[in-house]
Amino acid sequence: MNNQTKSQFVAVASITSELSAVMVVAKEISLAAANAKAIAFRAGDKAKGFQPITDFINELAKETIELVTDINVYALLLYRLTVNEYRRTSAYNRFEAAAKLAENAAYGASMQGPVDVAKGRMQDCQRQFKRDVTHLLSQLEAVMHHARAARVIAANSRIEASQAGEYLQSLQAVAESVDKAAHTIHDNVQRCRVALSIYRSN
Amino acid sequence: MKMTKIYEGSHQWIMFGRDPNKPANIIDSNQYVVRTTNRCLLMDPGGTELFAPMMAAVLHHAPVEQITDLFASHQDPDVISSLGLWDQALTNAKLHAPAIWEGFLRHYGCESIEYVPIPDHGGSIKLDSLELQLIPAHYLHSSGNFHVYDPQAKILMSGDVGAALEAPDAPVFVDNFDAHIDKMRYFHQRWMPSNQAKRAWIERVRKLDIEILAPQHGRMFKGDDVKRFLDWFDALQVGIAV
Repeated sequence: MNNQTKSQFVAVASITSELSAVMVVAKEISLAAANAKAIAFRAGDKAKGFQPITDFINELAKETIELVTDINVYALLLYRLTVNEYRRTSAYNRFEAAAKLAENAAYGASMQGPVDVAKGRMQDCQRQFKRDVTHLLSQLEAVMHHARAARVIAANSRIEASQAGEYLQSLQAVAESVDKAAHTIHDNVQRCRVALSIYRSN
Repeated sequence: MKMTKIYEGSHQWIMFGRDPNKPANIIDSNQYVVRTTNRCLLMDPGGTELFAPMMAAVLHHAPVEQITDLFASHQDPDVISSLGLWDQALTNAKLHAPAIWEGFLRHYGCESIEYVPIPDHGGSIKLDSLELQLIPAHYLHSSGNFHVYDPQAKILMSGDVGAALEAPDAPVFVDNFDAHIDKMRYFHQRWMPSNQAKRAWIERVRKLDIEILAPQHGRMFKGDDVKRFLDWFDALQVGIAV
């Protein structure tokens, strides 16, 4: 296995790992939203502006969880494709080696057919991999978009929290936890994108 | 890859092995080919590392499209881990292998090759007008294990039975049986688990008319050395690790 193939395996495998962390954080946001809703309810008019924000946070967390679930299924398909590509490439290299060794053999020319077929299969896999990576990157971009939206909501939450009197600290803590979670999601997804971007189709 | 023709008649037997370019840390193995007019059978075609030299060597005797049959005596990687590559190279081939190993052997990759499961009691392989017999050799050493007997050429391809661990450039035939014993004793005592299975196999094989006994490792036995080997093996205690 050459270094590029190893990197490809690592890149694809790391997506699942990074995304499982994203999933945990998205669930934390969902919990924070439920917590914020309860505080806002108790605060009544003092946290009037905060109440619709909690619905946004909850919706955002739900959508992120759904997106990540879809991406995980896709990442598994991409991993299988990587295995397939490795097998096809290995077969092509060995067929070429056999054809070269058989140059002077009576039936050496009959190896050309399998070499051509193996090359075609390998190239098909490589093209499919690039197409799938491009699709996966666009899905990851959607998660990044959600993370950015969560950070804006967190900023708004801080402003609303400042007007919530004795509930200020509790609501600020909610805003902090949403902001921190959004930050983590952004960083993890960004790592996935960097790892995969070298394989995207132009 | 060294090629030695061991039978020439209405069909041919060719032994392949002693590959000088083989990585030093993998065991040397013998591959056998039976070539008839339109078909070619590869017996224990070898591990992944051997695929390219083995394919190139076979192409001296048959075109790719006439490599129609593979045989695996058992499931070991030195026997058949190249299966996934043959599977992609051959368009119309069958793999004859023990029925009990089917689900295991498919891990090597077996998408286009037809798996022909050999039942425990044995069977046969037909190549043009030639019929080869599949002789049960269970527990020698694998729990599902077969050897190939050609009644016309009087050759028994005996898998790991008769195998020896020795230098990669060793001659292909045993030339001094007594001197050869040291090279095969430990292999048989350690790899073969059952004295009962050994006796059943010897009883079965003594009824066959064998001119050449052709193992998957080491040297082949010819003429009187076949009987010498059977007598020696009969007296040997195996399964020594317990």
